[in-house]
Amino acid sequence: MILLKDVWYLYGEKPAIKEINLTLKDDITYIIGPNGSGKTTLLKVSSLIFRPTRGEVLYNGENPWRDKRKLLKLRKKVVYVHEKPILLRGTVIDNVAFPLVLRGYTPSDAKDRAREILREIGLESIENKRRRELSAGQAQLVSLCRALILDAEYIFLDEPTNMLDIENREKIIELIGKKKAKKIIATHDLALPLQLTGRILLIKDGKLWGEITLGEYRSMFLNIH
Amino acid sequence: MEEILEITLRSIIVSLSAILLSATWSIPITLFLSRQKTRIANIIMSFFNSLVGIPTVIVGLFLYMILSSSGPLGFLRILYTPHAIIIGQSLLITPWIVSLSYEVFVKARNTYWELALALGADYFSANMVMLRETLPDLLVILLIAFSRAVGELGVALLVGGNIRGYTRVLTTTIALAVSRGEFEFALALGAMLVFVLFMIALTIRLIKAYKE
Repeated sequence: MILLKDVWYLYGEKPAIKEINLTLKDDITYIIGPNGSGKTTLLKVSSLIFRPTRGEVLYNGENPWRDKRKLLKLRKKVVYVHEKPILLRGTVIDNVAFPLVLRGYTPSDAKDRAREILREIGLESIENKRRRELSAGQAQLVSLCRALILDAEYIFLDEPTNMLDIENREKIIELIGKKKAKKIIATHDLALPLQLTGRILLIKDGKLWGEITLGEYRSMFLNIH
Repeated sequence: MEEILEITLRSIIVSLSAILLSATWSIPITLFLSRQKTRIANIIMSFFNSLVGIPTVIVGLFLYMILSSSGPLGFLRILYTPHAIIIGQSLLITPWIVSLSYEVFVKARNTYWELALALGADYFSANMVMLRETLPDLLVILLIAFSRAVGELGVALLVGGNIRGYTRVLTTTIALAVSRGEFEFALALGAMLVFVLFMIALTIRLIKAYKE
């Protein structure tokens, strides 16, 4: 369980998120809000990439920022996927295998496992392509595969269906749904919470506005459309 | 011709050594500064930025005063040796390497470093990922610094002394040839210097093409 207690994060003097009190323990939690509302910062703070400027992020009751060794250990169980895919130099398979290599897998074992997940998504044909040869959607898929290859306890996904066509969107949703990890998803894809149901939180101007039920969300969604 | 080649080779070796020496402190300093978000780090970066345009003779004079027999490091007895030129050039290009690589590292910290952490890397591995990904940019920066070093005169003349067969490099030889009225020789050396700079520019283009 992740607990955020009065968490603030400031860029210079300006708070990106403020007074966040939140428990993340559901299988899927959605963070929904307009552009610039603090979704990405909230995800980065919760996933231990950013240290909160104020307040505490507790993983199972402990603040990992107080103990560097615990922080590094915990980071191996948490994965965050950027909104804009960042791929490393090398081929697609090198990229997907990379997190496993970081965890001590031999490069050949890591690549075998990477090949499996690429096959599952139907990306085996591009495994030897380099980042400059990929479309934006393919890069997004590779970036997601690289995160989903891990048996992480928490997966933070920032706009995971952004840039994907309908077919690939469905594949990724299926893959995310299969993962046993607790998923925290920031999204603009308003249909996503109706397909993969979960807890829905609303954020605006860096503050959590509250939580709505799936029923409330569905009627809100239908009103918009 | 043999003398021109010998001088050219010495120029390249001296400036290459200066680049490697400077990189040993410039890159770790920049890596450290790129992590800092404090006002002091900004002031230090402004200091390095302002030193980019420092005249080479000022660096040469400063080093001469330090390395001369009455200076604080006079006991090292390296004035008028290639070592003195290497040290001088490495100091001269430090602000260049720091200023140019700072932007590269800041950008890479927000992307590759953050990505590595997001995928479970420790800080050492994250730094290694960042260095690996920025390697083409760093090579370009080092080559730009090399072209600055190989084409400078002030340091090589003041602390090298332009000793024939020992500290004579392309720029000091050109200056000497002009003062003696040996314009043909000076032009031949100049053409060699331009050729070296052209090769550097070509290498930079190739690295950029490879990177993309």
